[in-house]
This record gives sequence, structure tokens and C-alpha cells, in this order.
Amino acid sequence: MGNFLDSYGFLIVSTFWGALLGLSVYLPLMAGQLSLASPGFYALGGYIAAILSTQVLPHSGETYPFGFVLLEMGVAGLVSAVLAVILGIPVLRLRGIYLAIATIAFVEILRVLALNLEITGGAIGIFSIPQPFRSPVGYLWIALPLLVLTMVLLYRLEQSHTGRVFRAIREDELAADTMGIDPTYYKVLSFTLGAILAGMVGAVSAHFFNTWNAKQGTFDNSIIYLAFVLSGGSRTFVGPVVGGMVLTALPEVLRTIANIGGIPLWLGGFLQAMRLIIFGLLIVLGSMFYPQGIVTPELLNRLKLAFRKQPKRIST
Amino acid sequence: MDITLFLQQFLNGLSIGSVYAIFAVGYTLVFSILGIINFAHGAVFTLGAYFTYFLSGGAVGTNGLLANLALPFQFSFAIALLLGSILSGLSAIAIERLAFRPLRLKGADPLLTLVSSLGAALVIVNVLQYLVGAEIYTFSEGIYGDLPASINLGTAERPIMIRTVQIIIFGVSAVMVGILTYGIGFTRMGKALQAVAEDATTASLLGIDPERFITLTFFVSGFLGGMAGALVGSSVSIASGPYFGIAYGLKGLGVIVLGGLGNIPGAIVGGMVIGLAEAFVPTDFSGYKDAIAFAILFVMLLVRPQGLLGRSRIQKV
Repeated sequence: MGNFLDSYGFLIVSTFWGALLGLSVYLPLMAGQLSLASPGFYALGGYIAAILSTQVLPHSGETYPFGFVLLEMGVAGLVSAVLAVILGIPVLRLRGIYLAIATIAFVEILRVLALNLEITGGAIGIFSIPQPFRSPVGYLWIALPLLVLTMVLLYRLEQSHTGRVFRAIREDELAADTMGIDPTYYKVLSFTLGAILAGMVGAVSAHFFNTWNAKQGTFDNSIIYLAFVLSGGSRTFVGPVVGGMVLTALPEVLRTIANIGGIPLWLGGFLQAMRLIIFGLLIVLGSMFYPQGIVTPELLNRLKLAFRKQPKRIST
Repeated sequence: MDITLFLQQFLNGLSIGSVYAIFAVGYTLVFSILGIINFAHGAVFTLGAYFTYFLSGGAVGTNGLLANLALPFQFSFAIALLLGSILSGLSAIAIERLAFRPLRLKGADPLLTLVSSLGAALVIVNVLQYLVGAEIYTFSEGIYGDLPASINLGTAERPIMIRTVQIIIFGVSAVMVGILTYGIGFTRMGKALQAVAEDATTASLLGIDPERFITLTFFVSGFLGGMAGALVGSSVSIASGPYFGIAYGLKGLGVIVLGGLGNIPGAIVGGMVIGLAEAFVPTDFSGYKDAIAFAILFVMLLVRPQGLLGRSRIQKV
């Protein structure tokens, strides 16, 4: 077991980040809002953590204090929240595709800033961000609770009044509006929750990857995170978790297959290069044949029924 | 700023702005007829640049699967540009058939179509990168024949040097805009296109086949996008591999929001404004040049979401 964790620890923790980033895209989608801003907040959170841990709160000990990392995540979440509200209010008054466009612009502006500012290290980025754990597996101490907590909160959210309002807006914003719901408020709320999550994941990821640069927040990543949600399923929070984990692990699996002997060289090279091609195809085919993703609420219900041995009888 | 430099920057801005304009018209045409942003338009821009590069005699670099391959024949730049743009138009039709039509026939959520076009863009760009590599391609020096590399519009003491390629870009773009304005505003076909854009159902009752015009729109859109890509490629080389189209595609969003989504004159004005704005960025801040289109986009969403020339729409239940 220890051996397994040592060799696959990095990958396992990476799949958790994938699941969390998928959820950060899923949150605005709950209210029907297509936001491509997650890589922006993710990159922002990472820069906050990188700058705090290398310049503001440097630590000379062997491992970086765990508390500091949590503090950075808090700061990153807070900054992301404020920025999301500032960005969300003007943009989310508008209906339809404006959020998608505005969030693309947001990601690009942040990327250009990161490339040009001195504090972000320009094109090179920030190096040797201190490690709170001795090995990548240690990050499970943060990744696992964060994922479980987020999933529990989302489960509760879906049952709550707010969750129902989100769904109402997704189904028909105008109708929800006429029922006395303030769509802008709830749209900004869902967008902000997603932003906080992405910012926090970014903060801990900066430590995890040890280095942080402008490549973390690109348009490509926007589409990749979207692929997590769309292939997994956008109607229940289980979908993005499954999608994020599977698609994060997929390139690694492909690489392993490519290294197996007997596969022609060009096919091996193709498997290495094809990660983004596969994601693109998944998105196109998924939106055509599985517009709800693989994990749908109906599937979950069926699973629930299958596992329940004795169906409860309602006595009247 | 001294007047010579001003004029020089102004002409630079006009030249790049006119490319933005024809590129954005391609974007906005599809939006006007389907109400969807075609994110694969940036990928078509890339395709246009590569098609034209290979047709004008360029060889594949050493990194891709097709390393060192070159066409056994080569065309003059004008013909390569025309053929490359036609091929881009056909590619756009293929994208429509594969990524748009199936969803449209199902009556799917427009948001889903937008997502599907994102996926298509990702596939095209990465397949291309796999085939021809991610290196920088530069059009050969002599593509314009005997024309000098730059022309002096000023006097001998106060030169205003303009690169020939920029004059060509501006000229070609202006001609395209002229043809489009005539084609859409004054021909039977163009009027039918406007009718489909206004209301596809009513247009079909009047004997216009909307599907035919959607295909036509994608062809024109791809033609313009591919041509813009080829022109930019011939001017500043195909830098950063196939992804350079994605960068322009994203910038194009700024242009169409500035002009008003679905508004053709708006896209032309928007392209010019953003081209000029970029040209006048002080050299100290040139690193931020790429953010200008997006900053303008934000300002527009704040103050005038319907765009400079757009009319605000009343949403009906």
C-alpha cells in the first residue's frame, strides 16, 4: 500500500484537484450560467499563495506550516469572492452568452497581467514554493477533506431553497423572475461560490506543483474544466467529480498505454499528444449524445434502488 | 507625439484593424443567423493561414507528423490566398455539419452548441499541431513578387514608411467589406439571408430554405476568417503554432461585443477601433497590448451591452 501511494500519490491528489475544479464550473451551471472563469480564479489563488509563502510569510523550517497553507487558501477564497461579485454583478444582469464571453475576457486579462507584472514573476513565474508535506500523498490531508466538505455542502445545497432557486433559474430565468426571485442575486451567488472554490484549489495547488506561472490560467484550461463537467454530468454534483477524476487520470493512463511495447511509434506519439484532441471530441460528442453527461440524477436513483435490498413500503 | 510617428501608427492600426474587421464579420454573420457564437472561428482562422502558407509553396517543419512535406506545385500569393480562403470556407461548412447541425436538428439548448463549437476548435487546433508541429512558420520573402518591402509615404527627410504587406492587407480587407456590403444589402440572395437572420420560420414560409442559407453563411464566415488568418500570417508569420488562431478568436469576441453581437457594420467599426487602440499603446506598455480588446469588452458590457451600433432588444416571454 505504501509503495502504491508513493508512486501514484501525485496522480491521486491531482484527480482530487480535477474533481474540485469540475465542481467550481458546476456551481454556476447549477443556475444555468456558463462560466469559463475557473482557471482565472485558480491562477489568482495560486499566485496569492505563491507570493504569500515566498515573500510575506517565508518559513525556513523543513516543512512549511500547515496552518499557513490554510490561511493562504482563506485569503485566496476571500479575494476570489470579492472579485467574483465585482465581475458578476454587471455581467450577470445580462442574459445568455455574455457571462461566457466576459469570463473568457477575465481569464485573458489576468493572464496578460501575470505575464507582465513583476510580482508574479513575468513569463517565468514563481519558483520553489515551500512544501507543507514531505511527499505529494500528504496533500490528501487537504484534498480529501476539501472534496468531501464541498460535496456535502453541494448535497445540502441541492436540497435547499437556494438550490431550488438555482434550478428554477436554469430552467427558465424569466419565469423565475416573475415568481419574485431576483435572478441576478442568485446568479452572482452561484458564480461567486464557484470562484471561491477555484481560488482555494489554486492556492493549495501552487504548493502542490511547487511552481506557478501564467500557463495555469489559460483558455485551454477553461475548456478542459468544462469537459470535466460535461462528460461527467451537469445535473448532479456527482457528475463533475467523476468527470474531473477520470479525465485527470486519463492522460496518465494513455501515457502508460503508449509505453507498452508493440505499439507502433506513431500511435504511441499520437496517444501522448491526443489528450486535448480527446477532450475536444468528448465535448462535441458529449453535447450531442449525452447532453446530461454520464452521471445523471436518474442513474443515481437507479443505483440507489439497486442497493436498497428491501424497498420501503409506504403504509397508508 | 510627432506627426510622422502618429501617421505611421495610424496606418498600422488601420491595417490590423481591417483584418480584425473581416474576421469579426465572419463571427457576427453566424451569430446573426443562429444566435450562437462559433468558437471554432478562431480555428478556421488558423486553417486559413496554414492552407495559404502551403499553397504558396511553404513546407512543413520538422516537428509534426507530416515533417518536411511540401506541395509539388505552388501558386502565387493572390491565388493561394483565394484558394486557401475557399478551403477555409469549406472547412467551416464541415464544422457546421459535424458540430452545429446535429444539435440544431435536436432543438438543443444554444449553450450546448456553443460548448460543442469550443470542442471542435480544440480538436482542429490540436490535430493541426500534431500534423505540422508547433513551430513558427514564416511566409517566404518573395510572395509579393517585385513589390518593394515598404513604401515611403512621406518625404525623404521625414519618411513615413509603410510595409507593403500592410497596404495589401488593408486593400484586400476593404474590397471584401465592399463585396459583402453589396452582397448582403443589394442582392436577392443577401436579402433572403437577412430574412433568415430576422426570423428563420417566417423566412421558410416565404419559400426560403433556411438550411441552405445557414450553409452559405458558414461558407462566407469561414472564407473571411481564413482570409484574415492568411493575411495576418503573411504579415507577422504564423507565430506560436496553430494556437495563434485561438488568440485572435478570443480577441475577435471583443470586436463583436464592441460593435454589437450580430451587427455587421458594428463588427467593421469595432475591428477598426480595436486595431487603432492597439496601435497607439505606448511602447512601455506593449506587453499589455493583448489585453486591450478584453478591457474594451468589459467596458462595453458595463455601459452598452448592445454594442456601439446595436439596438437593444426587448425580451418577450
